[in-house]
Amino acid sequence: MRMPLLALLAKEPAHGYELKSQLEQIFGEAYPAPNIGQIYVTLQRLERDGLVRSQDVVQVTRPNKRVYELTDAGREAVIQWIDKPSEGPRIRDEFFMKLALSPVAGTSDRLGLINRQRRHYLSQLRSLSELAVAADRRIPRLLIEGAILHLQADLDWLQRCQEDFV
Amino acid sequence: MRAMARWIRADLRASTARAVVVAAMAAGVVTALLLSAGLLQGATNPWQGLFTATKGAQVWLHLSPSTDVRKLPSQVAGIQAIAGPYPATAATVAAGGQRTRVELRAMGPRLPPIGRPLLVSGRWLAAGSLTGVVLEATFAQAIHADAGGTLVLDNVDGTARVRVRVVGIAQTADQGFYPDQTPGLIWVLPGLLRQVEPNAGHTEEVVGLRIANPAAASLVVQQVVTQLGSSSVGTVSTWQQVQQSMARRDPLLGLLLALFGLMALGAAVLAIVNVTSGRVLLQTADLGMLQTLGFTPVQVMTMLTAEHALLAGCGIAAGLLAARLLMPALLGGVPGVSAAAATVPGGWAAVIVAGCFGAVLLATAAPAWQAGRVRPIAAVRAVPPRGHLSRIASIAMAARTPPALVLGARSAFVRRLPAALTICGLAIPIMMITIGLGFWSTLDEVQRHPADIGLAARVTVSPGPLTTAQTVRLIHADTQVHRAYTCVLAEALVPGETTTITTLGMGTSRQPYPFHVVQGRLYHAPEQAVATAALLSTLRIKVGQFVRMWFGGVPVTFHIVGRIIDPQYGGQLLAYGRDTLADEGAAAPIGFYSLVLRPGVSPRAAVAALMRASGRRLDVAEVPDPADQLGIVRGAVAALIAVLAVIGLTSLLTTSLLGYRDQLRDVSVLRAMGLTPLQVRAALMTRTTVLALIAVGIGTIVGRVFSVPLISAVSRLYGLGAGIGSPPSAWALAAAVGLAVGAAAVTGILPFRTPGRLPAVTILGP
Amino acid sequence: MTGGDGQQVLRTVNLTKAFAGDGVAVTAVRGADLELEHGEFAAITGPSGAGKSTLLHMLGGLERPSSGEIWLNGQRVDQLSQARWAILRRRHIGFVFQFFNLVSNMTVADNVELAAIMGGASRKQARARREELLGELGLAGKAHAAPARLSGGEQQRVALARAMANRPLLLLADEPTGNLDSAASLAVLALLGRVHADGQSILLVTHDLRVASAADRVISLFDGMVVDDAPMTAQRHPTPLPDVLKLRG
Repeated sequence: MRMPLLALLAKEPAHGYELKSQLEQIFGEAYPAPNIGQIYVTLQRLERDGLVRSQDVVQVTRPNKRVYELTDAGREAVIQWIDKPSEGPRIRDEFFMKLALSPVAGTSDRLGLINRQRRHYLSQLRSLSELAVAADRRIPRLLIEGAILHLQADLDWLQRCQEDFV
Repeated sequence: MRAMARWIRADLRASTARAVVVAAMAAGVVTALLLSAGLLQGATNPWQGLFTATKGAQVWLHLSPSTDVRKLPSQVAGIQAIAGPYPATAATVAAGGQRTRVELRAMGPRLPPIGRPLLVSGRWLAAGSLTGVVLEATFAQAIHADAGGTLVLDNVDGTARVRVRVVGIAQTADQGFYPDQTPGLIWVLPGLLRQVEPNAGHTEEVVGLRIANPAAASLVVQQVVTQLGSSSVGTVSTWQQVQQSMARRDPLLGLLLALFGLMALGAAVLAIVNVTSGRVLLQTADLGMLQTLGFTPVQVMTMLTAEHALLAGCGIAAGLLAARLLMPALLGGVPGVSAAAATVPGGWAAVIVAGCFGAVLLATAAPAWQAGRVRPIAAVRAVPPRGHLSRIASIAMAARTPPALVLGARSAFVRRLPAALTICGLAIPIMMITIGLGFWSTLDEVQRHPADIGLAARVTVSPGPLTTAQTVRLIHADTQVHRAYTCVLAEALVPGETTTITTLGMGTSRQPYPFHVVQGRLYHAPEQAVATAALLSTLRIKVGQFVRMWFGGVPVTFHIVGRIIDPQYGGQLLAYGRDTLADEGAAAPIGFYSLVLRPGVSPRAAVAALMRASGRRLDVAEVPDPADQLGIVRGAVAALIAVLAVIGLTSLLTTSLLGYRDQLRDVSVLRAMGLTPLQVRAALMTRTTVLALIAVGIGTIVGRVFSVPLISAVSRLYGLGAGIGSPPSAWALAAAVGLAVGAAAVTGILPFRTPGRLPAVTILGP
Repeated sequence: MTGGDGQQVLRTVNLTKAFAGDGVAVTAVRGADLELEHGEFAAITGPSGAGKSTLLHMLGGLERPSSGEIWLNGQRVDQLSQARWAILRRRHIGFVFQFFNLVSNMTVADNVELAAIMGGASRKQARARREELLGELGLAGKAHAAPARLSGGEQQRVALARAMANRPLLLLADEPTGNLDSAASLAVLALLGRVHADGQSILLVTHDLRVASAADRVISLFDGMVVDDAPMTAQRHPTPLPDVLKLRG
């Protein structure tokens, strides 16, 4: 969660709660709601690495709040992060292991394994499709679309496995 | 049922042009056939139509004055009604420099319910105008009288003379056509009759009888004569006599039209098959989808058939209407034939209508069956057929023939059956057009050289009141006359034949009349004769044989030395030198003189000059030119060529549209392959042009081969004998061929010219 | 054929289809056993060439099975003649195809009304049904347009309206989204979901698993055989989010 927080701070200084609500606003249901403690831990680590600095702001009616802002090194890190190409999704190594090892373990036939996995993916696909229909903001919707396409690719790969094993 | 109606409606709306074409073809064919049937009927049996139209009486009697006929219906069984009695008297009329005997018949200003004359122009007699008269149509034509003209009527004694005005021309079934039936008939008001013939003793009463059983006419006549007393009955005529007298032997035009009509029907059937099977191929997916929607195969068949039956019905109705409207115009130029006479008998009309309807249904049946066999699955898989480059095409390609031409020619035959249908559908009209052009050029020939059809002499002269010597002097004095031939008319009886034949002594053996000899030679010695083809066939003899006949008890044996063409005397004529009869002692009185005019002299001018010279005492007449009558053929041929051209064009358009979908794909591929738009267009044009060229080739060759024999056959029927047919002129043929091929090229790209209809990229998709 | 008296709307027993192609018999469907309850929405999926479409065409009577039984609402139909099948289709089956297959010479309204009339509606009823369906599908304004003037998505919606016009017992859809872009696909899919929610039994053939996942059941066909028949567990919110959505931060 480091880089999203840095990216948000690049716009303007903010305190922890502001960052949490901004994250929710941007990512919506596509992003599991982060808990505030996690955010503060991350911010402290960033400060320790010299990417942000903080100062307490005194408030009259409420307790003081700590406002974080980006250091020059932090700004540099955000720019580098955004410019750098991202890695692709990792392959489903766990299912692959199951598929490869199931005859050795003698527990299940491969086609049954594939079918079960497909059912699982299909129900995920269905949930995501329903989510996508419900999503009314662009960023979350695109994220869901991306996830759907990944799932479809996984399903295609399952099909490929099936063709090969039959 | 409702669903079928809905689909038919939608389909008709979606493709109005195709629907109109199919209906128009049916209409054109029905019109052509009805007109030809009308002409045939009008030419061969005009009496029936006239009789029906005029509510005629079957028996006509001339009775002495004041014979009481009112009780006849009660006295003689079978008489339904009586026309008349009308006072009638003989008179002479002077018109156009000729004097002719006529019968004046007095009728009231109101047309009678039975035997009512049928007006063809002008109006009927009116109480107010005493000097208005109505002329019988064929008589009016013979004396060149029209409504609005004036005539002078003299009574037989020459003691009274009245100038009258022709107010109308009417037809009647009461008596035969003039001049076969004389005297001519003029209807007048009773007052005028008394004025022309004040002597009541010279008047007769004319009565028409409408009888229940026409077959028993002669029986009725016998009873009437018995009832009234033979002394009071003058002349009697029955409908059979009138019918026979009206019947003519020149159904040429009708036959011609019938031939063209039947050919048009054939071509139309092919065109409809092409149109319909084309749409079945084009709409395979739609037809399959209809079955997916729940139409049974039988319903799909029924639907297509019903749609075409509907179109055929509309077309036939339009055809009936068109025939009715066109009939008077077409018949205007044919003497003795009128719209009423040419009424197509119900039976014929029913046959024609049923035939056309059946033909359309038949033409639809095969494609409809095909449509019914379209499996519903076709909705899901519709793939255009793929042709292969033929061997010839590969060779052509290798020989560096422009690829556009090769591809176009190849695509013409991708769908073989439609290609064959197109070729036939086009070849038949082209063939008929070729034959039509043959008729056209034959007419040209005949009108340019009337002597070729035996009309060397254009004017005949009868002495009339003058002596032979006076007549000969007058003729010789006329500088317009090139040569005059003295002619005798003699009836001869041939053993074994029941009727007499007409023979003519024309000129002498030393100076024979210049007949148009098509076989053998002219007579150059006594007892040699020439005859027309029709007479030869009647007598069952050939040129070179001998025939013996009797002239009033004197036997004469003729050696037939030649076959001639002569349209007069019903085409049945035997001619020889006048000296033959004199030698044999079978002398006949001089009948008339046939005058061959100097080149460039019009017959009308010659007639006028002779009339002037003789002080109107000579009986001079123009020989009627059958080619004049045939002028109407030109109109008919032109109209039929138009109909045939439309049918041919339809075939082409169908092919073009049929190929549209296949071609669209090809066009995109061709473009992608790098053909320029011009080359693509050339390929498209080649497609239809190749088919048209094949069809034109077949059509012109077959038409050319058949036109001369066909014209000869038709002219033989007409009594002219074979030998007058000329091939179509090269220019006209070239023009027709050029037009056909040009039209084919244009139709090839026609569907592609509409800009919105050429989706360039989409069709390359799935 | 109206009630749901305990019988399935559709049942097949050992359904087989072999094509005689180029001398070698190609078996497209081998022994398919299917059941579809009233009001159920099932998707048949599988790679291309798996025999999905052939199976669906047999169920609609567009192709004749080589062997096996088809029971439609308790009536055995696999032996029916083409004409009997046609009558069955017009009353009880609605079809939607990949390429829409609207009758090209009829307007949108005519296409829909034709199906309603075929299904036995009076002219008035057909008109009302057409207005209702086109209104629901947002095509009321296009009623008198020619099919060719419509976009693919619109044509497919018309095709759906036409398939629904006779209130079919069973709606058969053959790759209904196969020729549409993703937005139009989603719209058509949503419409299918809506008619399903109204109680329509639907059998859908698709190679697109996302489309298939919208069904209650996904039947996987492989090489002409049913390899899996998975009921889709109705997962309602709140949803345990799939792994893919867990962002790595």
